[in-house]
Amino acid sequence: MRRRTSLVKTALAAVLGAVLVAGCSSSSDTGDSAAPKQSAETGPVTLTFWAWAPNIDKVVAIWNKQHPEIHVTLSTQSQGDTLVTKLLTADKAGNPPDLAQAEYQALPTLVTGGVAADLTAYTGPIKSQFTDSAWQLVSFGGKTYAVPQDYGPMMLFYRADLFTRFGLTVPKTWDEFAAAARTLRAKDPKRYLTTFSAGDPGWFAGLAEQAGASWWSIDGEKWKVDIAGEPSRKVASFWGGLVNSGVLQGQPMYTPQWNKAMNDGTLLAWPSAVWGPAVLAGIAPDTKGKWAMAPLPQWTAGEQKTGLWGGSSTAVMAKSKHQDAAAKFAVWLNTDPTAVDALVTQGSLYPAVTAGQSTPALTKAPDFMPNQPDFYQTAKQISGTAAAVTWGPDVNVTYTSYRDAFGKAIQAKSDFATALSTMQSATVADMKKLGFDLAGG
Amino acid sequence: MTAPARRPAARPALLPTAALLAGAIYCLLPVLWVLIAATKTRSELFSTFSYAPSFSGGLTENVRGLFDYSDGRFVRWARNSVLYAGVGAALSTMVSAAAGYGLAKYRFRGRTLAFNILLAGVLLPQITLAIPQYLLLSKVGMAGTYWSVLLPSIIYPYGIYLCRIYAAAAVPDDMIEAGRIDGAGEGRIFRSIAVPVMVPGLVTVFLLQFIAIWNNFLLPFIMLSDEDKYPLTVGLFTMINQGVQKPALYTLVITGALLSILPLIALFLFLQRYWRMDLLSGAVKR
Amino acid sequence: MDDPGRAAGGSGRPGSGPTGSGPARSRRRRAVGSRLAPVLFLLPAAVLFVLFLLIPIGYAILLSLHGQRVRGGLLGRRTEVWVGLDNYRAALADPELWHSLVRLVIYGLLVVPIMLGLALAFALMLDVPTARLRRFSRIAIFLPYAVPGVIATMLWGFLYLPGVSPIRYAAEHLNLPPPNFFGVHSIFGAVANVAIWGGVGFNMIVLYTSLRAVPSELYDAARVDGCGEWQIATRIKIPLLVPAIVMTTVFSLIATLQVFNEPMTLRPLTNLIPSTWMPLMKIYRDAFIAGDVYSAAATSVVLALATLLLSLGFLRLLQRRAFAEER
Repeated sequence: MRRRTSLVKTALAAVLGAVLVAGCSSSSDTGDSAAPKQSAETGPVTLTFWAWAPNIDKVVAIWNKQHPEIHVTLSTQSQGDTLVTKLLTADKAGNPPDLAQAEYQALPTLVTGGVAADLTAYTGPIKSQFTDSAWQLVSFGGKTYAVPQDYGPMMLFYRADLFTRFGLTVPKTWDEFAAAARTLRAKDPKRYLTTFSAGDPGWFAGLAEQAGASWWSIDGEKWKVDIAGEPSRKVASFWGGLVNSGVLQGQPMYTPQWNKAMNDGTLLAWPSAVWGPAVLAGIAPDTKGKWAMAPLPQWTAGEQKTGLWGGSSTAVMAKSKHQDAAAKFAVWLNTDPTAVDALVTQGSLYPAVTAGQSTPALTKAPDFMPNQPDFYQTAKQISGTAAAVTWGPDVNVTYTSYRDAFGKAIQAKSDFATALSTMQSATVADMKKLGFDLAGG
Repeated sequence: MTAPARRPAARPALLPTAALLAGAIYCLLPVLWVLIAATKTRSELFSTFSYAPSFSGGLTENVRGLFDYSDGRFVRWARNSVLYAGVGAALSTMVSAAAGYGLAKYRFRGRTLAFNILLAGVLLPQITLAIPQYLLLSKVGMAGTYWSVLLPSIIYPYGIYLCRIYAAAAVPDDMIEAGRIDGAGEGRIFRSIAVPVMVPGLVTVFLLQFIAIWNNFLLPFIMLSDEDKYPLTVGLFTMINQGVQKPALYTLVITGALLSILPLIALFLFLQRYWRMDLLSGAVKR
Repeated sequence: MDDPGRAAGGSGRPGSGPTGSGPARSRRRRAVGSRLAPVLFLLPAAVLFVLFLLIPIGYAILLSLHGQRVRGGLLGRRTEVWVGLDNYRAALADPELWHSLVRLVIYGLLVVPIMLGLALAFALMLDVPTARLRRFSRIAIFLPYAVPGVIATMLWGFLYLPGVSPIRYAAEHLNLPPPNFFGVHSIFGAVANVAIWGGVGFNMIVLYTSLRAVPSELYDAARVDGCGEWQIATRIKIPLLVPAIVMTTVFSLIATLQVFNEPMTLRPLTNLIPSTWMPLMKIYRDAFIAGDVYSAAATSVVLALATLLLSLGFLRLLQRRAFAEER
């Protein structure tokens, strides 16, 4: 018995030791590697790139052909939240990729994790090629951490044929929008003008941006969180009133039911972004040529403002051993005319670089909307009116809170503005727990 | 008191038959749905009645579309599923057979303790393990590789439990003794005497673990980031959740779902005779 | 044969082995061999167990005692710090966790009795000799086991969504009230249904094969005494099945406590499932969406302990009934 128990004891001790060793090596802080590495690049370099944009492998292939000395290996990844976590973990373990596609709202998380490298030295020359709004998405505290890739200014898509049938005019203000919604319901109780989605926080964030909301802002060395401020409340109450009284639908987007509704005309309009036609083509194939695009309705007549929905950038990882080469590739991918054209034609992306917005592929109408030949000219104009947005360091917490709070509000038919307060407290609590300094408490 | 020489044909029992039929219909409902939905083209999918199949060539179109999707990614997913499930279940069966045999046929101190620790392993929630497994494998640079999904799948406490029961019931002690008398080593006895007798139990363990790994979602979802390494479950999940800028291609997902459940159904039907499911209830007759 | 020379020195034969000491030497060698053997047989399983079960649990506990804090102002870096039991305190004080546990209980009370009740009923019916369509039903009811949870939920999602559901379509055309699967209360049934659908067949087969092991003489005696099928089922079969029923209950409980795939996959389709609907979803959200592995580790350790205690308690209570045969 004694021999067996001492064997068990030794085994347990070994396990404990292994666990402690594993744990201890994780609590050491990662070294400050924000300064760009000026390593002499001798010999061919291989870069790893984690991305998911459609057909980005074809764009990467173009680079690889033109630059045999810097070979980029693509690894197609799952999107958004989980990818960011995997980047953070890989960085902690010391083996992140060299480059990664990062959605704009995920960048601050990567920056505060020390994962994204400071690219200010490389991006100085190209800054002028982007609008201020686009550049603000990748800059914090005067430093730039990524190169903007694509851009999602919001605009309204509507069924031109059904609008004619029901005698609706394209709304120019949100009041007109509400009126059109009511008229439609009165004429055909089976249809709705559109749906409010509790499953798409980025969509709502863009609408709030249009109203002038600034969910996160920087006040010196402190963060300011204002999710439940006046502009956002205005937007929330507007939609809440319409949904709770049954004038608008309250079902999530991107479900089979939503696909069907968009395809068979149960829903007539869709506040979306410039990449809308590609999605419509996939989900509502029977409606080709029937959709038209107009700027979003405004809060004040005559204004021209819009928000942003979606879009990502290319970031270089701080622990990459080839930051020079990686930065070169990131800049090329998003500013070089050949690359941008490929991104547009192959990936259906709307480029953030201003010159790219008039690339040859964007001079004709999108495949799905042949009825609107000046689609991209209008889009470019709208794109210039987009608000400047700052994202906070824990957007995922806010987004999850949006889904939970607004889902509950729709189901309970309660005030949407209260959902905003829930989001605000969740975000503030998380930031405080992490130890961020918040202005105004 | 003997039974008559020829029994008259018994009347069919209506209630059990009806209940079984109802159960069968309930269980087949979604399977039938996916079979029929896979025959529809994109415009037909949401505009025709769900259970009315379409004969306009939708199925071939969907299958072709599925195989073309992202340069044949679906085929890679299928191959990965076979790899993870086949290799994982095979290794798992070998490990379980050895461990089960060891626990059943040898008396050593700490035997019950070892067995109880093993059972406790069955009770742990998978997610509690998956996250630290992921972090630890990340540290050694193995997260996101094929091994990160294979290795954690090999240890299968329930399989060891089943093998132990089966070895205890099916492998006669006297055969082992006879082997020892003839001078065979323990390993030899295991290979030549125990394993052949244990085959039906081993096939059951293999099948159970194959199905468990094939159907597993959480572990590969957490471990893998590269789409080319995904099994079918995770691949199809990402096809539905593509984010806002890409349309979800439901016809392809549905066709993919259909194709991914066919292999397992075929496996069942083919290997029905080899199951020993009574293992699972703890009552084994040799 | 391993070694013919040694074979001659086996027990019971006079010493003509190579070294001449015959039975004693080979007995000792055999004793040593068979002491080492179980260790070797168990070694692969033990190594894997330590590597992939024990060490991760230990690491999870270690993680749960740490947290992350930001150092360095506005865009400071997240660093790992020691927080002691703070994560546990926060987890146990979190109302979302308790709500999810309540929901878990409701869900469990729906799934386990219904699934096992149906499995038992179907198993008994399969055992009625005069029932028809037995082979077909058996295969059909077992089929859902072949469908992964994520895919099954997706398929049922199509059958639930009012806009595309054929069930609603049929109900509307037959002038019946259309079922609302995504109602405040019916959502539990909707999620539970997917789990029940997937699990009935497996449990049915387990119980059925147990039934088949019962010698039919038992029934013949009862039939001669005039018992009908129903009485045979309730008085003879079910009592004999109790050990199997207990085992399937325990394993179903464990699986139910870990429900994750079904609500996660249904969540994008409806407003009714928040990110913390079930405990495992909360853990996933903490770890992968909020990026806080530490709270997630604490919650999962709490959950693992609860599962362990529950299962062991349940087994202890019923150990005698479950393993009656082995005694």
